[in-house]
Amino acid sequence: MAAIEATELSKRYGTLIALDRVDLTVEEGEIFGFLGPNGAGKSTFINALLDFVKPTHGSVSVFGQDCQADSVRAREHLGVLPEGYSVYDRLTGRQHLEYAIRSKGADEDPVDVLERVGIREAGDRKASEYSKGMAQRLVLGMALVGEPDLLLLDEPTTGLDPNGAAEIREILREENERGATIFFSSHILEQVQAVCDRVAILQDGSVVAVDTIQGLREALGGGTKLVVTVDRTEPSILESIRGLEGVETAWLDEDGETVEITCRNDAKMDVLVAFHDAGVDVVNFRTEEASLEDMFVEYTGRR
Amino acid sequence: MSWLVIARQEAWLTATARSVRLLAGLLVLVCAVGAYVFPVFDPGPHTTAHFGGYVSGWLGTLVPLIGLVVGYNAVVGERRSGALALSLSLPHGRRDVVFGKLLGRLAPVVAAIVAGALIAGALVVYPFGELALAPFLAFVGATITLGVVYTALGVAISTFVATKTRATVAAFGVYVLVVVWTELEAAIELALASIGSPGEGVPTAVEVLLALEPTTAYDRIVAGAIDPAGSVGDAWYLDEWVALALLVLWATVPLAIAYRRFAGVDLQ
Repeated sequence: MAAIEATELSKRYGTLIALDRVDLTVEEGEIFGFLGPNGAGKSTFINALLDFVKPTHGSVSVFGQDCQADSVRAREHLGVLPEGYSVYDRLTGRQHLEYAIRSKGADEDPVDVLERVGIREAGDRKASEYSKGMAQRLVLGMALVGEPDLLLLDEPTTGLDPNGAAEIREILREENERGATIFFSSHILEQVQAVCDRVAILQDGSVVAVDTIQGLREALGGGTKLVVTVDRTEPSILESIRGLEGVETAWLDEDGETVEITCRNDAKMDVLVAFHDAGVDVVNFRTEEASLEDMFVEYTGRR
Repeated sequence: MSWLVIARQEAWLTATARSVRLLAGLLVLVCAVGAYVFPVFDPGPHTTAHFGGYVSGWLGTLVPLIGLVVGYNAVVGERRSGALALSLSLPHGRRDVVFGKLLGRLAPVVAAIVAGALIAGALVVYPFGELALAPFLAFVGATITLGVVYTALGVAISTFVATKTRATVAAFGVYVLVVVWTELEAAIELALASIGSPGEGVPTAVEVLLALEPTTAYDRIVAGAIDPAGSVGDAWYLDEWVALALLVLWATVPLAIAYRRFAGVDLQ
Protein backbone atom coordinates (compact mmCIF):
# COMPACT_ATOMS: atom_id res chain seq x y z
CA MET A 1 0.00 0.00 0.00
CA ALA A 2 1.22 3.49 -0.81
CA ALA A 3 2.24 5.70 2.10
CA ILE A 4 0.87 8.76 0.30
CA GLU A 5 -1.43 8.72 -2.69
CA ALA A 6 -2.58 12.03 -4.17
CA THR A 7 -4.98 12.09 -7.09
CA GLU A 8 -5.56 15.32 -8.98
CA LEU A 9 -5.15 17.18 -5.69
CA SER A 10 -6.00 20.83 -6.27
CA LYS A 11 -6.41 23.87 -4.09
CA ARG A 12 -7.62 27.22 -5.30
CA TYR A 13 -7.77 30.41 -3.24
CA GLY A 14 -9.99 32.76 -5.21
CA THR A 15 -8.09 33.16 -8.46
CA LEU A 16 -4.81 31.84 -7.07
CA ILE A 17 -4.14 28.18 -7.81
CA ALA A 18 -1.95 26.86 -5.02
CA LEU A 19 -2.05 23.23 -6.15
CA ASP A 20 -2.89 22.18 -9.67
CA ARG A 21 -4.02 18.55 -10.14
CA VAL A 22 -1.11 17.02 -8.28
CA ASP A 23 -0.75 13.26 -8.77
CA LEU A 24 1.86 11.80 -6.47
CA THR A 25 2.53 8.37 -5.00
CA VAL A 26 5.03 7.85 -2.21
CA GLU A 27 5.80 4.19 -1.55
CA GLU A 28 6.15 2.69 1.88
CA GLY A 29 9.73 2.82 3.19
CA GLU A 30 10.93 5.64 0.93
CA ILE A 31 12.72 8.80 1.92
CA PHE A 32 10.97 11.25 -0.32
CA GLY A 33 12.04 14.84 -0.84
CA PHE A 34 9.51 17.47 -1.81
CA LEU A 35 11.38 20.24 -3.45
CA GLY A 36 10.46 23.63 -4.79
CA PRO A 37 10.96 27.34 -4.32
CA ASN A 38 9.00 29.15 -1.61
CA GLY A 39 5.41 29.60 -2.63
CA ALA A 40 5.39 26.61 -5.00
CA GLY A 41 2.67 24.89 -2.97
CA LYS A 42 4.71 22.48 -0.83
CA SER A 43 3.07 23.52 2.43
CA THR A 44 -0.39 23.56 0.87
CA PHE A 45 0.14 19.93 -0.14
CA ILE A 46 1.26 18.96 3.38
CA ASN A 47 -1.59 20.96 4.94
CA ALA A 48 -4.08 19.08 2.75
CA LEU A 49 -2.65 15.82 4.12
CA LEU A 50 -3.26 17.14 7.63
CA ASP A 51 -6.76 18.42 6.73
CA PHE A 52 -5.72 21.95 7.72
CA VAL A 53 -6.63 22.84 4.15
CA LYS A 54 -9.66 21.46 2.32
CA PRO A 55 -8.87 20.57 -1.30
CA THR A 56 -11.10 22.15 -3.93
CA HIS A 57 -10.69 19.11 -6.16
CA GLY A 58 -9.12 15.66 -6.01
CA SER A 59 -8.11 13.67 -2.97
CA VAL A 60 -5.17 12.50 -0.95
CA SER A 61 -4.83 9.48 1.32
CA VAL A 62 -2.30 8.14 3.78
CA PHE A 63 -1.99 4.34 4.00
CA GLY A 64 -5.40 4.10 2.37
CA GLN A 65 -7.14 6.50 4.79
CA ASP A 66 -8.62 9.54 3.12
CA CYS A 67 -7.04 12.63 4.65
CA GLN A 68 -10.31 14.59 4.65
CA ALA A 69 -13.03 12.00 5.32
CA ASP A 70 -10.92 9.97 7.78
CA SER A 71 -8.60 12.70 8.94
CA VAL A 72 -8.00 11.43 12.48
CA ARG A 73 -7.34 7.87 11.35
CA ALA A 74 -5.00 9.14 8.65
CA ARG A 75 -3.10 11.18 11.24
CA GLU A 76 -2.77 8.15 13.51
CA HIS A 77 -0.12 7.00 11.01
CA LEU A 78 1.75 10.29 11.07
CA GLY A 79 4.48 12.04 12.95
CA VAL A 80 4.33 15.66 11.87
CA LEU A 81 6.48 18.75 11.89
CA PRO A 82 3.97 21.25 10.51
CA GLU A 83 4.49 24.63 8.92
CA GLY A 84 3.87 27.76 10.98
CA TYR A 85 3.45 25.99 14.29
CA SER A 86 4.17 27.56 17.63
CA VAL A 87 4.97 25.76 20.84
CA TYR A 88 2.88 26.20 23.98
CA ASP A 89 4.67 29.05 25.73
CA ARG A 90 3.68 27.98 29.20
CA LEU A 91 4.47 24.29 28.89
CA THR A 92 7.96 22.85 29.33
CA GLY A 93 9.61 20.71 26.68
CA ARG A 94 8.87 17.62 28.72
CA GLN A 95 5.18 18.59 29.04
CA HIS A 96 4.98 18.94 25.26
CA LEU A 97 6.25 15.40 24.85
CA GLU A 98 3.91 14.10 27.55
CA TYR A 99 1.05 15.71 25.62
CA ALA A 100 2.16 13.98 22.40
CA ILE A 101 2.62 10.65 24.21
CA ARG A 102 -0.87 10.82 25.76
CA SER A 103 -2.40 11.98 22.49
CA LYS A 104 -0.93 9.06 20.55
CA GLY A 105 -1.49 6.52 23.32
CA ALA A 106 2.24 5.76 23.30
CA ASP A 107 4.35 4.77 26.29
CA GLU A 108 7.74 6.34 25.69
CA ASP A 109 9.77 8.12 28.32
CA PRO A 110 9.82 11.85 27.49
CA VAL A 111 13.43 12.06 28.65
CA ASP A 112 14.53 9.50 26.04
CA VAL A 113 12.91 11.55 23.30
CA LEU A 114 14.47 14.79 24.60
CA GLU A 115 17.83 13.03 24.59
CA ARG A 116 17.35 11.80 21.05
CA VAL A 117 16.64 15.25 19.63
CA GLY A 118 19.42 16.80 21.69
CA ILE A 119 17.55 19.05 24.11
CA ARG A 120 17.59 16.93 27.24
CA GLU A 121 19.15 19.72 29.30
CA ALA A 122 16.31 22.10 28.37
CA GLY A 123 13.51 19.63 29.06
CA ASP A 124 12.27 21.29 32.22
CA ARG A 125 12.41 24.83 30.89
CA LYS A 126 9.38 26.62 29.50
CA ALA A 127 9.23 26.34 25.73
CA SER A 128 8.83 30.13 25.49
CA GLU A 129 12.55 30.34 26.33
CA TYR A 130 13.53 28.03 23.47
CA SER A 131 15.35 29.27 20.40
CA LYS A 132 13.83 28.55 16.99
CA GLY A 133 16.20 25.62 16.58
CA MET A 134 15.33 24.13 19.98
CA ALA A 135 11.61 24.48 19.28
CA GLN A 136 12.19 22.74 15.95
CA ARG A 137 13.94 19.86 17.75
CA LEU A 138 11.15 19.66 20.31
CA VAL A 139 8.44 19.41 17.68
CA LEU A 140 10.49 16.84 15.78
CA GLY A 141 10.60 14.91 19.06
CA MET A 142 6.81 15.12 19.30
CA ALA A 143 6.65 13.78 15.73
CA LEU A 144 8.88 10.82 16.62
CA VAL A 145 6.67 9.74 19.54
CA GLY A 146 4.81 6.48 18.97
CA GLU A 147 6.97 5.20 16.09
CA PRO A 148 4.80 6.68 13.30
CA ASP A 149 4.54 4.89 9.94
CA LEU A 150 5.12 8.14 8.09
CA LEU A 151 7.11 11.19 9.14
CA LEU A 152 5.74 14.28 7.46
CA LEU A 153 8.11 17.19 7.88
CA ASP A 154 7.67 20.70 6.52
CA GLU A 155 11.11 22.32 6.14
CA PRO A 156 12.59 20.33 9.05
CA THR A 157 15.98 22.02 9.14
CA THR A 158 14.73 25.61 9.34
CA GLY A 159 16.43 27.44 12.16
CA LEU A 160 19.17 24.84 12.59
CA ASP A 161 22.88 25.29 12.01
CA PRO A 162 24.62 22.86 9.62
CA ASN A 163 25.52 20.52 12.49
CA GLY A 164 21.95 20.51 13.69
CA ALA A 165 20.71 19.84 10.18
CA ALA A 166 23.12 16.89 9.91
CA GLU A 167 21.84 15.51 13.24
CA ILE A 168 18.28 15.72 11.98
CA ARG A 169 19.22 13.90 8.78
CA GLU A 170 20.83 11.18 10.89
CA ILE A 171 17.59 10.80 12.89
CA LEU A 172 15.63 10.58 9.65
CA ARG A 173 17.92 7.80 8.42
CA GLU A 174 17.46 5.90 11.70
CA GLU A 175 13.70 6.26 11.47
CA ASN A 176 13.79 5.03 7.88
CA GLU A 177 15.82 1.98 8.93
CA ARG A 178 13.18 1.24 11.55
CA GLY A 179 10.72 1.06 8.65
CA ALA A 180 9.20 4.54 8.61
CA THR A 181 8.46 6.35 5.39
CA ILE A 182 9.88 9.87 5.36
CA PHE A 183 8.35 12.73 3.41
CA PHE A 184 9.88 16.13 3.81
CA SER A 185 9.78 19.41 1.99
CA SER A 186 12.65 21.76 1.50
CA HIS A 187 13.76 24.63 -0.63
CA ILE A 188 17.35 23.81 0.30
CA LEU A 189 18.71 21.34 -2.18
CA GLU A 190 21.63 19.86 -0.29
CA GLN A 191 19.25 18.65 2.42
CA VAL A 192 17.28 16.66 -0.09
CA GLN A 193 20.21 15.44 -2.11
CA ALA A 194 21.91 14.07 0.99
CA VAL A 195 19.19 11.67 2.12
CA CYS A 196 16.43 11.18 -0.43
CA ASP A 197 15.63 8.09 -2.45
CA ARG A 198 13.31 10.04 -4.71
CA VAL A 199 12.32 13.65 -5.12
CA ALA A 200 9.42 15.55 -6.57
CA ILE A 201 9.95 19.06 -7.84
CA LEU A 202 7.03 21.38 -7.44
CA GLN A 203 6.69 24.60 -9.40
CA ASP A 204 3.69 26.96 -9.28
CA GLY A 205 1.45 24.28 -7.81
CA SER A 206 2.34 21.58 -10.33
CA VAL A 207 4.69 18.64 -10.06
CA VAL A 208 7.22 19.16 -12.82
CA ALA A 209 9.38 16.12 -12.09
CA VAL A 210 9.34 13.00 -9.93
CA ASP A 211 12.37 10.79 -10.07
CA THR A 212 15.42 9.47 -8.28
CA ILE A 213 18.38 11.82 -8.08
CA GLN A 214 20.14 9.56 -10.57
CA GLY A 215 17.11 9.62 -12.84
CA LEU A 216 16.98 13.39 -12.78
CA ARG A 217 20.66 13.50 -13.71
CA GLU A 218 20.10 11.21 -16.65
CA ALA A 219 17.12 13.26 -17.73
CA LEU A 220 19.57 16.13 -17.93
CA GLY A 221 21.43 14.57 -20.83
CA GLY A 222 24.17 12.83 -18.88
CA GLY A 223 24.27 15.53 -16.32
CA THR A 224 27.64 17.06 -16.91
CA LYS A 225 28.30 20.52 -15.68
CA LEU A 226 30.96 22.52 -17.35
CA VAL A 227 32.42 25.42 -15.39
CA VAL A 228 34.27 27.80 -17.67
CA THR A 229 36.23 30.84 -16.60
CA VAL A 230 36.34 33.45 -19.34
CA ASP A 231 37.90 36.88 -19.71
CA ARG A 232 34.66 38.51 -20.81
CA THR A 233 31.15 37.58 -21.81
CA GLU A 234 27.98 38.99 -23.29
CA PRO A 235 24.33 37.89 -23.17
CA SER A 236 24.47 37.12 -26.89
CA ILE A 237 27.29 34.63 -26.33
CA LEU A 238 25.29 32.84 -23.62
CA GLU A 239 22.34 32.78 -25.98
CA SER A 240 24.31 31.14 -28.76
CA ILE A 241 25.71 28.54 -26.32
CA ARG A 242 22.21 27.72 -25.09
CA GLY A 243 21.31 27.16 -28.71
CA LEU A 244 23.94 24.46 -29.18
CA GLU A 245 22.91 20.86 -29.69
CA GLY A 246 23.08 18.97 -26.35
CA VAL A 247 23.24 22.03 -24.09
CA GLU A 248 20.55 22.31 -21.44
CA THR A 249 21.33 25.58 -19.73
CA ALA A 250 24.05 28.17 -19.50
CA TRP A 251 24.28 30.96 -17.01
CA LEU A 252 26.74 33.48 -15.73
CA ASP A 253 27.86 33.27 -12.11
CA GLU A 254 27.67 36.24 -9.81
CA ASP A 255 31.39 36.90 -10.15
CA GLY A 256 30.79 37.83 -13.79
CA GLU A 257 33.54 35.67 -15.27
CA THR A 258 32.46 32.10 -14.66
CA VAL A 259 29.91 30.51 -16.95
CA GLU A 260 28.17 27.31 -15.84
CA ILE A 261 26.77 25.06 -18.51
CA THR A 262 24.86 21.82 -18.07
CA CYS A 263 25.10 19.65 -21.13
CA ARG A 264 25.51 16.17 -22.54
CA ASN A 265 29.02 14.79 -22.28
CA ASP A 266 29.63 14.92 -26.02
CA ALA A 267 28.67 18.59 -26.24
CA LYS A 268 31.49 19.87 -24.03
CA MET A 269 33.91 20.41 -26.87
CA ASP A 270 31.28 22.25 -28.92
CA VAL A 271 30.80 24.66 -26.02
CA LEU A 272 34.49 25.47 -25.80
CA VAL A 273 34.66 25.90 -29.55
CA ALA A 274 31.69 28.25 -29.45
CA PHE A 275 33.48 30.47 -26.90
CA HIS A 276 36.55 30.49 -29.09
CA ASP A 277 34.52 31.38 -32.18
CA ALA A 278 32.94 34.28 -30.30
CA GLY A 279 36.40 35.64 -29.59
CA VAL A 280 36.27 34.89 -25.88
CA ASP A 281 39.41 33.63 -24.14
CA VAL A 282 38.77 30.57 -22.01
CA VAL A 283 41.02 31.14 -19.02
CA ASN A 284 40.19 27.87 -17.30
CA PHE A 285 37.60 25.14 -17.36
CA ARG A 286 36.58 22.06 -15.40
CA THR A 287 33.73 19.57 -15.47
CA GLU A 288 31.55 18.53 -12.57
CA GLU A 289 28.78 16.06 -12.03
CA ALA A 290 25.58 18.06 -12.18
CA SER A 291 24.26 18.66 -8.67
CA LEU A 292 20.65 18.75 -7.75
CA GLU A 293 20.96 22.48 -7.60
CA ASP A 294 21.65 22.60 -11.31
CA MET A 295 18.69 20.35 -11.97
CA PHE A 296 16.57 22.48 -9.73
CA VAL A 297 17.53 25.57 -11.67
CA GLU A 298 16.85 23.65 -14.84
CA TYR A 299 13.38 22.57 -13.76
CA THR A 300 12.17 25.67 -12.07
CA GLY A 301 13.77 28.15 -14.40
CA ARG A 302 15.32 30.17 -11.60
CA ARG A 303 18.63 31.85 -12.10
CA MET B 1 -10.93 9.76 24.56
CA SER B 2 -8.97 12.27 22.57
CA TRP B 3 -10.96 15.19 24.02
CA LEU B 4 -10.00 14.10 27.53
CA VAL B 5 -6.29 14.55 26.76
CA ILE B 6 -6.99 18.04 25.45
CA ALA B 7 -9.35 18.90 28.32
CA ARG B 8 -6.74 17.88 30.87
CA GLN B 9 -4.03 20.02 29.32
CA GLU B 10 -6.44 22.92 28.78
CA ALA B 11 -7.63 22.80 32.40
CA TRP B 12 -4.07 23.04 33.60
CA LEU B 13 -3.22 25.89 31.23
CA THR B 14 -6.39 27.81 32.13
CA ALA B 15 -6.14 27.31 35.87
CA THR B 16 -2.55 28.57 35.92
CA ALA B 17 -3.30 31.72 33.92
CA ARG B 18 -3.11 34.86 36.04
CA SER B 19 -6.20 36.54 34.59
CA VAL B 20 -8.31 33.46 35.28
CA ARG B 21 -7.04 33.19 38.85
CA LEU B 22 -7.84 36.84 39.40
CA LEU B 23 -11.41 36.46 38.13
CA ALA B 24 -11.95 33.23 40.06
CA GLY B 25 -10.68 34.94 43.20
CA LEU B 26 -13.06 37.82 42.54
CA LEU B 27 -15.98 35.41 42.23
CA VAL B 28 -15.13 33.74 45.54
CA LEU B 29 -14.72 37.15 47.14
CA VAL B 30 -18.11 38.35 45.89
CA CYS B 31 -19.77 35.19 47.22
CA ALA B 32 -18.10 35.66 50.58
CA VAL B 33 -18.93 39.37 50.83
CA GLY B 34 -22.51 38.66 49.74
CA ALA B 35 -22.91 36.04 52.43
CA TYR B 36 -21.28 38.28 55.03
CA VAL B 37 -23.58 41.27 54.45
CA PHE B 38 -26.70 39.17 53.75
CA PRO B 39 -27.84 38.93 57.39
CA VAL B 40 -27.09 42.61 57.86
CA PHE B 41 -29.01 44.09 54.93
CA ASP B 42 -31.68 41.48 54.25
CA PRO B 43 -34.75 41.26 56.51
CA GLY B 44 -34.65 37.47 56.27
CA PRO B 45 -35.35 34.68 56.60
CA HIS B 46 -31.63 34.00 56.68
CA THR B 47 -31.60 30.63 54.99
CA THR B 48 -29.32 29.34 52.23
CA ALA B 49 -32.48 29.11 50.07
CA HIS B 50 -33.30 32.82 50.32
CA PHE B 51 -29.60 33.71 49.98
CA GLY B 52 -29.77 32.52 46.37
CA GLY B 53 -32.30 35.23 45.56
CA TYR B 54 -30.13 37.78 47.37
CA VAL B 55 -26.89 37.19 45.38
CA SER B 56 -28.28 36.08 42.03
CA GLY B 57 -28.12 39.66 40.70
CA TRP B 58 -24.42 39.94 41.56
CA LEU B 59 -23.60 36.54 40.15
CA GLY B 60 -25.71 37.29 37.06
CA THR B 61 -23.28 40.12 36.31
CA LEU B 62 -20.01 38.43 37.27
CA VAL B 63 -20.44 34.86 36.01
CA PRO B 64 -21.13 35.91 32.38
CA LEU B 65 -18.00 38.07 32.48
CA ILE B 66 -15.88 35.19 33.77
CA GLY B 67 -17.33 32.70 31.30
CA LEU B 68 -16.74 34.99 28.32
CA VAL B 69 -13.22 35.96 29.38
CA VAL B 70 -12.26 32.33 29.99
CA GLY B 71 -13.78 31.18 26.70
CA TYR B 72 -13.27 33.82 24.02
CA ASN B 73 -9.60 33.09 23.28
CA ALA B 74 -9.75 29.30 23.60
CA VAL B 75 -9.55 28.33 19.95
CA VAL B 76 -8.75 31.48 17.99
CA GLY B 77 -5.72 32.28 20.17
CA GLU B 78 -4.03 29.01 19.31
CA ARG B 79 -5.24 29.16 15.74
CA ARG B 80 -3.45 32.49 15.34
CA SER B 81 -0.30 31.57 17.24
CA GLY B 82 0.14 28.21 15.53
CA ALA B 83 -0.22 26.01 18.63
CA LEU B 84 -3.42 24.63 17.09
CA ALA B 85 -1.34 23.26 14.21
CA LEU B 86 0.62 21.30 16.81
CA SER B 87 -2.51 19.83 18.41
CA LEU B 88 -4.15 19.02 15.09
CA SER B 89 -0.97 17.33 13.86
CA LEU B 90 -1.64 14.78 16.56
CA PRO B 91 -4.56 12.40 16.03
CA HIS B 92 -7.19 14.78 17.44
CA GLY B 93 -10.31 15.76 15.50
CA ARG B 94 -11.43 19.36 15.38
CA ARG B 95 -14.46 18.26 17.38
CA ASP B 96 -12.16 16.84 20.09
CA VAL B 97 -10.29 20.13 20.19
CA VAL B 98 -13.41 22.28 20.61
CA PHE B 99 -15.08 19.97 23.12
CA GLY B 100 -11.87 19.34 25.06
CA LYS B 101 -11.14 23.04 25.28
CA LEU B 102 -14.64 23.80 26.51
CA LEU B 103 -14.39 21.17 29.23
CA GLY B 104 -10.88 22.20 30.20
CA ARG B 105 -11.83 25.84 30.46
CA LEU B 106 -14.99 25.01 32.38
CA ALA B 107 -13.03 23.25 35.12
CA PRO B 108 -11.69 26.41 36.82
CA VAL B 109 -15.02 28.22 36.33
CA VAL B 110 -16.93 25.42 38.04
CA ALA B 111 -14.26 25.11 40.73
CA ALA B 112 -14.54 28.84 41.51
CA ILE B 113 -18.36 28.66 41.75
CA VAL B 114 -18.20 25.62 44.03
CA ALA B 115 -15.54 27.23 46.23
CA GLY B 116 -17.54 30.46 46.43
CA ALA B 117 -20.70 28.51 47.29
CA LEU B 118 -18.98 26.50 50.03
CA ILE B 119 -17.63 29.62 51.70
CA ALA B 120 -20.87 31.56 51.24
CA GLY B 121 -22.95 28.64 52.53
CA ALA B 122 -20.83 28.40 55.65
CA LEU B 123 -21.02 32.16 56.26
CA VAL B 124 -24.81 32.21 55.86
CA VAL B 125 -25.43 29.23 58.13
CA TYR B 126 -23.00 30.27 60.84
CA PRO B 127 -23.86 31.58 63.35
CA PHE B 128 -27.53 32.61 63.00
CA GLY B 129 -28.69 31.27 59.64
CA GLU B 130 -30.31 28.09 58.61
CA LEU B 131 -29.24 25.47 56.10
CA ALA B 132 -31.78 24.54 53.42
CA LEU B 133 -29.67 21.98 51.57
CA ALA B 134 -31.79 21.03 48.56
CA PRO B 135 -32.58 24.60 47.40
CA PHE B 136 -28.96 25.61 48.00
CA LEU B 137 -27.66 22.73 45.87
CA ALA B 138 -30.18 23.70 43.20
CA PHE B 139 -28.89 27.26 43.40
CA VAL B 140 -25.27 26.10 42.97
CA GLY B 141 -26.41 23.92 40.07
CA ALA B 142 -28.19 26.84 38.39
CA THR B 143 -25.15 29.07 38.82
CA ILE B 144 -22.87 26.40 37.36
CA THR B 145 -25.28 26.10 34.42
CA LEU B 146 -25.02 29.86 33.92
CA GLY B 147 -21.22 29.50 33.96
CA VAL B 148 -21.45 26.72 31.37
CA VAL B 149 -23.67 28.88 29.14
CA TYR B 150 -21.27 31.82 29.03
CA THR B 151 -18.11 29.77 28.81
CA ALA B 152 -19.72 27.86 25.91
CA LEU B 153 -20.72 31.18 24.31
CA GLY B 154 -17.15 32.42 24.69
CA VAL B 155 -15.74 29.22 23.17
CA ALA B 156 -18.37 29.44 20.40
CA ILE B 157 -17.18 32.96 19.53
CA SER B 158 -13.60 31.72 19.64
CA THR B 159 -14.42 28.81 17.34
CA PHE B 160 -16.44 30.88 14.89
CA VAL B 161 -14.13 33.82 14.19
CA ALA B 162 -10.73 33.79 12.51
CA THR B 163 -9.00 36.67 14.32
CA LYS B 164 -8.43 37.58 17.94
CA THR B 165 -9.71 41.11 17.38
CA ARG B 166 -13.07 39.85 16.19
CA ALA B 167 -13.27 37.46 19.13
CA THR B 168 -12.56 40.31 21.56
CA VAL B 169 -15.15 42.59 19.96
CA ALA B 170 -17.79 39.84 19.86
CA ALA B 171 -17.22 38.80 23.49
CA PHE B 172 -17.32 42.41 24.64
CA GLY B 173 -20.50 42.98 22.63
CA VAL B 174 -22.18 39.96 24.17
CA TYR B 175 -21.27 41.14 27.65
CA VAL B 176 -22.64 44.63 27.04
CA LEU B 177 -25.88 43.03 25.81
CA VAL B 178 -26.06 40.96 29.00
CA VAL B 179 -25.70 44.03 31.17
CA VAL B 180 -28.11 46.12 29.09
CA TRP B 181 -30.68 43.35 28.67
CA THR B 182 -31.45 42.92 32.33
CA GLU B 183 -32.25 46.65 32.56
CA LEU B 184 -34.22 46.70 29.32
CA GLU B 185 -37.61 45.69 30.70
CA ALA B 186 -37.58 48.41 33.32
CA ALA B 187 -36.45 50.93 30.72
CA ILE B 188 -39.25 49.95 28.33
CA GLU B 189 -41.85 50.21 31.09
CA LEU B 190 -40.50 53.61 31.98
CA ALA B 191 -40.65 54.71 28.35
CA LEU B 192 -44.20 53.43 27.96
CA ALA B 193 -45.25 55.30 31.10
CA SER B 194 -43.69 58.53 29.88
CA ILE B 195 -45.60 58.45 26.57
CA GLY B 196 -48.79 57.96 28.57
CA SER B 197 -49.79 54.35 28.11
CA PRO B 198 -49.34 52.93 31.59
CA GLY B 199 -51.10 49.86 32.87
CA GLU B 200 -50.76 47.99 29.61
CA GLY B 201 -47.24 46.89 30.56
CA VAL B 202 -44.69 45.61 28.10
CA PRO B 203 -46.21 43.97 24.99
CA THR B 204 -46.11 40.16 25.09
CA ALA B 205 -43.85 39.79 22.09
CA VAL B 206 -41.27 42.07 23.68
CA GLU B 207 -41.61 40.28 27.00
CA VAL B 208 -40.93 36.92 25.30
CA LEU B 209 -37.92 38.39 23.57
CA LEU B 210 -36.58 39.81 26.84
CA ALA B 211 -37.10 36.44 28.55
CA LEU B 212 -34.85 34.65 26.05
CA GLU B 213 -31.61 36.06 27.44
CA PRO B 214 -29.73 33.57 29.66
CA THR B 215 -29.10 35.81 32.67
CA THR B 216 -32.79 36.69 32.99
CA ALA B 217 -33.58 32.98 32.58
CA TYR B 218 -31.19 32.27 35.46
CA ASP B 219 -32.93 34.93 37.56
CA ARG B 220 -36.29 33.28 36.88
CA ILE B 221 -34.97 29.87 37.91
CA VAL B 222 -33.71 31.30 41.19
CA ALA B 223 -36.91 33.31 41.81
CA GLY B 224 -39.28 30.56 40.72
CA ALA B 225 -37.73 27.39 42.09
CA ILE B 226 -35.16 28.27 44.74
CA ASP B 227 -35.86 31.46 46.65
CA PRO B 228 -39.10 31.06 48.68
CA ALA B 229 -39.48 34.87 48.69
CA GLY B 230 -39.20 35.13 44.92
CA SER B 231 -41.85 34.80 42.26
CA VAL B 232 -42.13 34.79 38.49
CA GLY B 233 -44.98 35.79 36.20
CA ASP B 234 -47.78 33.40 35.33
CA ALA B 235 -47.17 33.29 31.59
CA TRP B 236 -45.88 29.91 30.39
CA TYR B 237 -42.76 31.46 28.89
CA LEU B 238 -41.75 32.76 32.31
CA ASP B 239 -41.85 29.30 33.86
CA GLU B 240 -38.59 28.19 35.53
CA TRP B 241 -38.49 24.93 33.55
CA VAL B 242 -38.73 26.86 30.32
CA ALA B 243 -35.89 29.00 31.65
CA LEU B 244 -33.79 25.90 32.30
CA ALA B 245 -34.49 24.60 28.80
CA LEU B 246 -33.41 27.99 27.43
CA LEU B 247 -30.11 27.74 29.30
CA VAL B 248 -29.50 24.30 27.83
CA LEU B 249 -30.16 25.66 24.33
CA TRP B 250 -27.83 28.61 24.90
CA ALA B 251 -25.09 26.26 26.07
CA THR B 252 -25.32 24.01 23.01
CA VAL B 253 -26.77 25.69 19.90
CA PRO B 254 -24.29 28.57 19.38
CA LEU B 255 -21.34 26.23 19.94
CA ALA B 256 -22.79 23.67 17.51
CA ILE B 257 -23.20 26.38 14.85
CA ALA B 258 -19.68 27.64 15.44
CA TYR B 259 -18.29 24.11 15.26
CA ARG B 260 -20.03 23.44 11.96
CA ARG B 261 -18.29 26.42 10.46
CA PHE B 262 -14.93 25.60 12.06
CA ALA B 263 -15.09 22.00 10.80
CA GLY B 264 -15.12 23.11 7.17
CA VAL B 265 -12.70 26.02 7.20
CA ASP B 266 -9.07 26.23 6.01
CA LEU B 267 -6.83 26.79 9.01
CA GLN B 268 -3.78 28.14 7.18
